[in-house]
Amino acid sequence: MPKVAALVVGLLMAWMSAGQTTKSTAPVLTVSAAVSLSEALEECAKTFKTRGGGEVRFNFAGSNVLARQIVNGAPADLFISADEEQMNVVERAGKIVQSSRVELLGNQLAVVATPERAALVREQFGRAAPEIRRLAIGDPAAVPAGVYARQFLAKQGLWTAYEPRIVPSANVRAALTAVETGSVDAAIVYITDAAVAKRAIVVLTIPASQGPKIVYPAAIVSNRHFAHSDQFLTFLRGAEASAIFARHKFTPLTSVGR
Amino acid sequence: MDVWQITTFTIATALGATVLMIPPGLALAWLLARRRFRGRLFLETLISLPLVMPPVATGLILLLLFAPRGPLGRLLASIGIDVVFTWRAVVLAMTVMGLPLFVRTVRAGIEQVDRRYEAMAATLGAPPLRVFFSITLPLAFPALIAGAVLGFARALGEFGATIMIAGSIPGVTRTLPVAIYTFTEIGRDREAALLLLISAGIAFAALWVSNYLSARAGLRA
Amino acid sequence: MIDLDFTLTQGEFVLEVHQRLDQPVTVLFGPSGSGKTTTLDAIAGLRKPSRGTIVVNGRALFNARVNLPPHQRHIGYVPQDIALFPHLDVRRNVLYGQRPGQKLSLDIVASMLEIGSLLDRGVSMLSGGERQRVALARALMSAPDVLLLDEPLAAVDLELRRRILPYLERVRDELSVPIVYVTHDREEVRRLADSVLVLDRGSVVRSGSPEEVLE
Repeated sequence: MPKVAALVVGLLMAWMSAGQTTKSTAPVLTVSAAVSLSEALEECAKTFKTRGGGEVRFNFAGSNVLARQIVNGAPADLFISADEEQMNVVERAGKIVQSSRVELLGNQLAVVATPERAALVREQFGRAAPEIRRLAIGDPAAVPAGVYARQFLAKQGLWTAYEPRIVPSANVRAALTAVETGSVDAAIVYITDAAVAKRAIVVLTIPASQGPKIVYPAAIVSNRHFAHSDQFLTFLRGAEASAIFARHKFTPLTSVGR
Repeated sequence: MDVWQITTFTIATALGATVLMIPPGLALAWLLARRRFRGRLFLETLISLPLVMPPVATGLILLLLFAPRGPLGRLLASIGIDVVFTWRAVVLAMTVMGLPLFVRTVRAGIEQVDRRYEAMAATLGAPPLRVFFSITLPLAFPALIAGAVLGFARALGEFGATIMIAGSIPGVTRTLPVAIYTFTEIGRDREAALLLLISAGIAFAALWVSNYLSARAGLRA
Repeated sequence: MIDLDFTLTQGEFVLEVHQRLDQPVTVLFGPSGSGKTTTLDAIAGLRKPSRGTIVVNGRALFNARVNLPPHQRHIGYVPQDIALFPHLDVRRNVLYGQRPGQKLSLDIVASMLEIGSLLDRGVSMLSGGERQRVALARALMSAPDVLLLDEPLAAVDLELRRRILPYLERVRDELSVPIVYVTHDREEVRRLADSVLVLDRGSVVRSGSPEEVLE
């Protein structure tokens, strides 16, 4: 048994001291992106590859985690955040190529409920009727979706009415689950989350004019693979990628004049 | 989603981390069990930190140390070794999080070994290192196994520190817990459930192996 | 030859030993709590005197500058609780302290103590008397400069005692290793001792030949 252990340790040591592979002509891009964008981005990457673009590797996590990693020098090439605050953090730390920062995507809020309660919620939501006893949103203290939800309610003059009935959730998934299990009567989530919900259905879509401005900024992080990063970012803002994003219910914010 | 790759990657890194935590773990367990020295309380506390801090906090500390501009990261980069966003970060996070559990368990086991046996071995001419390997460790072997299994289990389930320092890069640093988190976040509950079942299966297998090894050790001599 | 000149304080108890032991078998005799085992522990390096010196065959084991750890003292110790290693069989227990190239072989010791047939047994499958002999063999196999025995026959019944005593006599007669032997049994003193130290509450109150001390 000690011999086996020694062998494993030896192999591990040898493995760990192996350095990086030499760079090939088309470098692999590392893109740190918010988890909510996983499926859409992976589709984009696949299409990008068939169009002759290079290999793209994604690092999906919460935007705050991603921002931390980048601020501390983690080797990401591109950063796509779920909210502007985290991008600001990274920008303030001087970690992005400033001229590359763009507003890549938008999103919309939606009110969801179970099919049984849908009709009631749809009618009564705007009046904050007492039949809607509990409302789940992301925790405004922690999650951008929660911040947006709160902004929306405030803007509609509904915050005071709903505040005692709010159930703050650790994340949007939890809010959705709360609705689907009947623990709450309705939830405010992103329309992109509602799209993958199993039982909850969208009761109200909040148009962009009524809702807060939800932006997913993107930026090139380092000069390491600038040309290729720029290539991919441009692709993400192009027509093909926009179609993919739209299919996943994101709002592409294609820029002017690039 | 490549279930096979995620599973084998997670098992391999967890095993690697378990093996890695044994030498320092044994040394620390022995030190704390058998030696009085200044700064002993400090050492105990330091080792326990990953246990009581939120894993994300531990991950942050590791990131500060091993990122390309961190002190250790810079050192390793100068000899061509990258840590952050690679499998090495996964093993590192697992080792750091599992080590406290390993040390605790083995330490308790060593403390149970009657010091008379160690004293006898010493009078028979065995220097401290030989006493440790020929007397203390064999007599504390069940604790060693239990500690390794605990360390392995902790490594298997490690998430917070891993995602901070290794990220969640499909095919490169995505472990079972990280994958489960990611899939849950995007609503792919079926894949998440499958991975969950696999995790549970591995945990069962680990416990079974540990019981088997403990029984074998108990039947010896 | 063993030179003891030390003081050991432990709480309220103070042990003072200032004796030269130059006989083959020295017995430490006295009631329990008088410091006999502590004296053995001090010689073996398991307890540290507060001050003084311990010298064996001209070699300083303990003095103001030096405190040799047990593994460097060349002491053979058979404690009262025997402490055979439970995870090793008899052979490996006995051979544990053997140093390469030493002249004393397993065959000699095994035949002297008649444990040849026990060598492959597990330690838990030995009778009380067998355990004693194995422990003795183990201490001898490390070719010590002095052998310390702490009440080897205390936990053993009369019948067994009769049978083990000859082995001890044999060890005394055939090997030239000086023995320090702790007991509170007069029979053992009579049969084995060349010189006796009587301890009481941490001091040597009488010393001399067995006849002188026991009358």
